[in-house]
Amino acid sequence: MSKNIFIDGKPITFEDGKTVLQVARENGLYIPTLCYHARTGPASMCRVCVVEVEGMRGLQTSCSLTPSDGMKIQTASQRVLDARKAVVNLLLANGNHDCLSCEVNGACELQDAAYHLGIETPAFFVKEYDERDASAAFIIRDPNKCILCGRCIVGCNGQVVNEVLEFGYRDSHTKVICDADLPMGLSTCVQCGECVQLCPVGAFIEKKAVGKARRWETHTVRTTCPYCGVGCQLELHVKGEQIVRVTGVEGAEPNQGHLCVKGRYGYDFIYSDDRIKTPLIREANGFREASWDEALDLVATKFQQIKQEYGPNALAGVSSARSINEDSYYMQRLFREVVGTNNIDHCARV
Amino acid sequence: MPIVTQEMIDRIIHKYPQKDSAALPIMQLIQAQNGEMLNREALRAVSKATNLSLNHIYGIATYYTMFNTKPVGKYHLQVDTCVPGFLHGADEIAAHLSQILRIAVGETTSDGLFTLSTVQDLASCATGPVIQVNDRYFENMTIAKVDQLVDALRKGHTPENDPSMTVYSECGILLNDRTQPDCRTLAFYKKNGGYRSLAKAKSMQPKDVINEVKEAQIRGRGGAGFPAGTKWSFLPKDDSRPVYLICNADEGEPGTFKDRQIMEFNPHLLIEGMAISAHAIDAAKAFIYIRGEFAWIAKILETAIEEARADGQLDHVDILVHRGAGSYVCGEETAQIESLEGKRGNPRPKPPFPANSGLYGCPTIVNNVETLASVPYIIQHGAQAFKKIGVPNNHGPKIFGVSGHVNQPGVFEYPLGTPLRTILEAAGDVKGKLKGVIVGGLSVPILTAEEADGLLLDFDSCQKAGTSLGSGGIIVINDTVSTPELALRTIEFYHHESCGQCVPCREGSRVIENKLRGIVKGRGKMEDIDLVIQLCRTIPGLSLCPTGEAFSAPILSMVTKFRSEFEALIH
Repeated sequence: MSKNIFIDGKPITFEDGKTVLQVARENGLYIPTLCYHARTGPASMCRVCVVEVEGMRGLQTSCSLTPSDGMKIQTASQRVLDARKAVVNLLLANGNHDCLSCEVNGACELQDAAYHLGIETPAFFVKEYDERDASAAFIIRDPNKCILCGRCIVGCNGQVVNEVLEFGYRDSHTKVICDADLPMGLSTCVQCGECVQLCPVGAFIEKKAVGKARRWETHTVRTTCPYCGVGCQLELHVKGEQIVRVTGVEGAEPNQGHLCVKGRYGYDFIYSDDRIKTPLIREANGFREASWDEALDLVATKFQQIKQEYGPNALAGVSSARSINEDSYYMQRLFREVVGTNNIDHCARV
Repeated sequence: MPIVTQEMIDRIIHKYPQKDSAALPIMQLIQAQNGEMLNREALRAVSKATNLSLNHIYGIATYYTMFNTKPVGKYHLQVDTCVPGFLHGADEIAAHLSQILRIAVGETTSDGLFTLSTVQDLASCATGPVIQVNDRYFENMTIAKVDQLVDALRKGHTPENDPSMTVYSECGILLNDRTQPDCRTLAFYKKNGGYRSLAKAKSMQPKDVINEVKEAQIRGRGGAGFPAGTKWSFLPKDDSRPVYLICNADEGEPGTFKDRQIMEFNPHLLIEGMAISAHAIDAAKAFIYIRGEFAWIAKILETAIEEARADGQLDHVDILVHRGAGSYVCGEETAQIESLEGKRGNPRPKPPFPANSGLYGCPTIVNNVETLASVPYIIQHGAQAFKKIGVPNNHGPKIFGVSGHVNQPGVFEYPLGTPLRTILEAAGDVKGKLKGVIVGGLSVPILTAEEADGLLLDFDSCQKAGTSLGSGGIIVINDTVSTPELALRTIEFYHHESCGQCVPCREGSRVIENKLRGIVKGRGKMEDIDLVIQLCRTIPGLSLCPTGEAFSAPILSMVTKFRSEFEALIH
């Protein structure tokens, strides 16, 4: 028998194992969230997703709330809206959330929550600013924009397991630290950018993207990362013909949004003038451009010559770590079956 | 680097069911051996010893106030300026120290001998002003005694502490005769009938012990007043996971200093209560999570546990004393469990409740010291005898701590339901004209003198009067005190102690402190008062743990009941 909850009076069927937030979202209902992310799970820390449940004393965080049959939930009562407004106002008051200059303007979850709650300007101000940390190669940290949702920390420790980020200090002095509170550039951070991908606001941003484009000026192109055989799914954020930033595709196999430093930040090579665009054949006077057919015919001929002259073991096949598994498999079959040698290897590094 | 051997580390790790739990004691050990400081080198040593990453260790080191990541002087003078200390003149003590040492608060003398700090609540409310020097307390301080203390320390001597205060027990159950020099010993305790209750309990079925405690309807003495027997009965049945018992000895609510009276002078009463409770809930491992500042009390407990073990009393349970490291929030049961697991003391969302999933994800019962210390009486004399003490629905003895403006501050054991008047009289009555009284530790609404008139001190009567009995820490305030200043002190404590995890508590306490400071300094606006009130009405029920309510309730009561005082400061 199907089980129902009542959200704002409307009966909604739910399956076990889902939270109230998930059920609400699947049914097209908007509940703001900040610390919740599908990959980092419920944290119950920001309190902006609270709802009122009949028979429960305090407000409940919908991200962690397990529905039970017949549960009556209010998502837009005055008490709920007042609470959410208080949370968003407190966050706005205690940071430097300057949307005008912010890189994530238009893609900010705090901005969205404020918008939907009708908050135009913060109701009050308490300003204490910390310095931005631009010491690292690809990531800029701005603690003044950090809302301490902890998503980056769960990502860094629980997902990519680099164990660099953590909450340090406490009370309103709590902040996200790198190692023993070092500048990111001096820490053990490998710049994978998981924190940037998970950040709901502009506390972690891509250094290379600063000033390049507003979020609404770019369109996305989905592609596969060319660096290694894993085949991570990328989203290229493109303005005109220029890539502005790269993100991992959330929910897509095999990487589920994760990327490494190369896949996320190493995209400039495609614009290099030195990039080789056709096969090149070396002759006495240096390289000359050639067609693929000509180049492959040349390689095949040379392989045959070597095999005839010195035997198949004079040849070896090494596949690139950029090759996918299937290509490496074909490479070894080519060498074992066609060339007739077991000399095969894989560079296993880029 | 100091000499901390692998053997010392292993010895600590082996005490715990899971090695991460050893993080705090290992950090305490390494800090003590490293000139009271955890610099980066020491932190790396901790990381290596615990196999926990450096970011995790640094997160812990900067969460707990007792870990120093920066150098401190040979003597770290820490003056408790929280509300009870403030009422006892702690500000004058801090100012005097600052003057004679020629340093500001937060600074170290150029010879590296003294660092001066102000700290939040040392649970020495009746014996204030109090200065903590490294791991020792110096209570009942006066200007003259401060001079003597500093002189002695300069000469390398450590003077004796004077912890004297009024102690009176009407019930004779929880507070023993501490004038006897051997009052802490097993021999003294057994001579007075100790451990007979445990013997009786061991001859009973665990479920019968639980039923007896349930029948006694003892309400938790930590502050929430939840019936302990009912809490025990929430443990899952037929569960293969081990059950843990944690004694909450993280006494930190300003105004509260009752548990230390039991632990310091009557440790076997607590140990017997824990041994009975462990038998009842089938826990083979129990912890006493004691606040880190109580280092000498932790030693007293360890000695007593050793005595009891040697006497064969603890053949069914291993009790381990675990010191915290300076965090009020670790008094909240889920934060305490996190801390005991070797993490920052951040409360967990509930559900799940600890009875189902607590320490290491196993069923766990967390009870206050005074609650557990009441169990031997219940088992020995029966639930009915226990229920004869006190008033309906509020049974048994209760230790009330009285601090602030009374002539003889101290601790007083009376039945629940005793009139406030009786206890104030026992404390030598109010000094000056009574302005207000906070009856349950700082986290409950203040009562005006009129509201407090005729009040009975039990959970239900206090609730009816619009406040809460809480922990029974009674703070008496006379009319010389400015309520805005009192409110500022109050929020300073909770802001400082906020774990920083959830927005309403972390940012709310910061905004309220900021606005109240503005008002006290004469920079406030009328709308600031309304903003404070609005926040205090929104935060309860919104924050992740009860800390949000713990500051909203007293601040709201101070601002609404004494609003004219706040308005008078606005120009």
